[in-house]
Amino acid sequence: MSRSYGRYALLRAAQALIVILLAYVGTFLVISVLPGDPITNMLRDPQNGLTDDEIQQVVAHYGLDKPVVIQLILSLGRFVTGDLGFSLQSNLPVSQLLGDALPSTLTLAGTALLLSVVIAVVIAYGVQYLPSRWARGVLRSVPSLFLSVPNFVVGLILIEIFAFRLHVFTTIDPDSAAATLFAALTLAIPVSAPLAEVLIANLDHESRQEYALVARSRGLSQARLFARHLVKPSMLPAVAMIALIVGELLGGAVITETIFGRDGLGTVVQKAVTSQDVPVLQAVVSLAAVVFVTVNLLADLASPLLDPRLDARPRRKAAPERDATPERELEVSA
Amino acid sequence: MTVSIDTTRPALAEVVPPVRSGPSDAQPLLSVEGLSVSYGDTTVVRDVGFTLERGTSLALIGESGSGKSTVAKSILRLLPTVDSAVSGSVSLDGRELFGLPERQFRPLRGRLLGYVPQDPSSALNPVRTIGSQAHEAAALAGESDARVRRRDILSVFERVGLPDPERVYASYPHQLSGGMLQRVLIGLTVLPRPALIVADEPTSALDVTIQKLILDLLSELRRDLGISLLLITHDLAVAAERADSIVVLKNGIVEESGSSSQVFSTPTSEYARQLHADVPALNPDRYRIQRGAASGATPAIAPAVAPPAVEVDAVTKRFRSGDVDVTALDGVSFTLARGTTHALVGESGSGKTTAVRLLLGLEQPDAGRIEVAGTPVHGQTSAGLRGLRRHLQLVYQNPFTSLDPTWRVSRIVREPLDRFRVGERAERARLVEQTIEEVGLPASVLSRRPGQLSGGQRQRVAIARALIVRPDVVVLDEPTSALDVSVQAGILELLSRLQREHGLSYLLVSHDLALVRQLADTVTVLQRGKVVENGTVDQIFARPENAYTRALLDAIPRTSGGTAQS
Repeated sequence: MSRSYGRYALLRAAQALIVILLAYVGTFLVISVLPGDPITNMLRDPQNGLTDDEIQQVVAHYGLDKPVVIQLILSLGRFVTGDLGFSLQSNLPVSQLLGDALPSTLTLAGTALLLSVVIAVVIAYGVQYLPSRWARGVLRSVPSLFLSVPNFVVGLILIEIFAFRLHVFTTIDPDSAAATLFAALTLAIPVSAPLAEVLIANLDHESRQEYALVARSRGLSQARLFARHLVKPSMLPAVAMIALIVGELLGGAVITETIFGRDGLGTVVQKAVTSQDVPVLQAVVSLAAVVFVTVNLLADLASPLLDPRLDARPRRKAAPERDATPERELEVSA
Repeated sequence: MTVSIDTTRPALAEVVPPVRSGPSDAQPLLSVEGLSVSYGDTTVVRDVGFTLERGTSLALIGESGSGKSTVAKSILRLLPTVDSAVSGSVSLDGRELFGLPERQFRPLRGRLLGYVPQDPSSALNPVRTIGSQAHEAAALAGESDARVRRRDILSVFERVGLPDPERVYASYPHQLSGGMLQRVLIGLTVLPRPALIVADEPTSALDVTIQKLILDLLSELRRDLGISLLLITHDLAVAAERADSIVVLKNGIVEESGSSSQVFSTPTSEYARQLHADVPALNPDRYRIQRGAASGATPAIAPAVAPPAVEVDAVTKRFRSGDVDVTALDGVSFTLARGTTHALVGESGSGKTTAVRLLLGLEQPDAGRIEVAGTPVHGQTSAGLRGLRRHLQLVYQNPFTSLDPTWRVSRIVREPLDRFRVGERAERARLVEQTIEEVGLPASVLSRRPGQLSGGQRQRVAIARALIVRPDVVVLDEPTSALDVSVQAGILELLSRLQREHGLSYLLVSHDLALVRQLADTVTVLQRGKVVENGTVDQIFARPENAYTRALLDAIPRTSGGTAQS
């Protein structure tokens, strides 16, 4: 498998690279197609107090006097070499702006990702194995509750209870560990819901499989059956989902950061949008594309390693020569 | 200590002290009394009782829904805990099993009571290697050293006839065939040396030739290791051949029980007689008369004026699989005469399925020619192919997957009429009703969905769907392999009647020669894409020329007992 897997990995990585470049080109074209080139508009704003010469210099620096195709090539060239340009608003390098904001957002999103997986696994385990049937039923409906409560409501409730009433954390220091944990919880709760749903459904399915019965006939306890047999096959489809969740977390981070008063990517995006700070926007969109594509790439690369049934080779027309095994007839239909 | 259980398990007797005074040789190994099981309000097993003597085998036999698997799972205590209510008494080796809390029963699992499941392909965790799962079984034998366990596992794999134990150990389940997987499972079950093995239809998901080998293996292990066997099956011939005594179940009630030869040769219940009549191996001529004229003539030799229903001439088909070419069919020729049944026989991978796909025009042959009623199948326009398919319908092997679960039966059966734009709405509805009646289903099924029907009913729906456009040729791709013997008999009877009434030509794809003998006039045996035998059924059964054909013939269960019917 190793040689064919190498070929598969290379192919997927190349595809990922192309997607990132296309996302960059797409963003660039959308911005340049928009009427009233925002950069020149802003420069010409009398409040900035720039002279015509200075404007010419900046315009030439950004290559705005050249045709769009040339601009695109120049911009793409800078992007590939890691030069993201300067913010129009603060005149700071965009890479520095992002660099300052990123750690806070990554901490938040990373913690939230971890929490959402933990919450989902705990819910799914409880739904399978809680001794009380009533409790199992209640737990089963928790994911839909999580899904239907908006992010900002969860955040406000958590702040009200844990910051103002119980004083577990203070809103004055939003970067403290406790505050970060609650911000991450806010972000994790709605995101954990679909993950929990998938896990519950897969565990339902897997625990009804014959192999689970056979494993039990060998005297495995319920906890061992769960840990050794059921978790892995149930988690496999969730791996692809986790990749999607990361995208959701980045979007959700903007709102959560606002509620908890954190300085992060959300704040940068908000400022850039209100002030039409094109280089920053372009960089943030590209960054989001890079993160999203990378996580998906990792999920794709991990799947064949985790699931031996998946063939990593590029799909060819397979010979339809295997006779399907007859499905067994259920003795008792419920 | 009066306990006479295996002395290699001393710890066990300490963990679970026998409830009664202790088993003696006079006491049966397994004794089931007044066992009743219900799911919600439905009672599926009623007051079932039987005993299994130490070192013997007992077959629990009945059609699907008879409760035989439920009985097996109650003994194993593997019934779903939600909704199922069990009462009665099961005592194994002197211990009452139902009274035990799970914590005390668990040490008995595997060690005293082993389980061989029905479908080996789903009985092992698909994402873990066989070796890692085997250690769970080996640990039951009390061995704590992983290296010793590994050695035990490899030796038991060799014992059950697996060719390359090391490779099997490192493989994932999907990399092995069904027969090999069943050997693995049997090996893992006997590894801790249980006193009793419960085998729930251990061969029903396997090819016929493999079935015989697996049953042979079970009999051999039972003899050599002194393990008792509770065999669940729907096939009376298998039960009579493999078990010392038989318990016949119907609708959850014991209809009859006794020694195998007694139940087999002098059945007292009507139902046992019925089961006997339904086994193809025991009744080779059952459908001869019904099929009437078709079998009277010797169609393969009779000079045909009209072109034959299907003619396949020197067809070759290759596939690329990875980097190697696989020849699925190699110069295959056969003829299906009008109004007769031709059987295409071979095990999985012999090229049967490819032949069917070529015939239906789903694949292009690399060489050779296929004609249906004198019209070539290949080189047709898509409209021509559609016209051809009206005369050529398929009944797929698995009625559980071949019907759209979201459609009502009326829509499923009507679909071909809609496709071929036959008649007006009212006429289509009338045709649907008529065809459903013809396949022996009540009109009430029309408004149901496949999920609400039994396997046999579903296959009748599939037959109705094929018949409604009045085809000349019907391809029957293992039409009963997913059904049990009693249901199969009903379907075969229906197919025979329809053939006589409509003058249909059948191309029967099967690996079950007992079935072929009942239904077909002529046979082609395929092995690895080549024709190894071709002729009338009588010729092949009387004088099989090929070793593979003889192996297939040997797979038909044989019983020494007399026949139940005159």
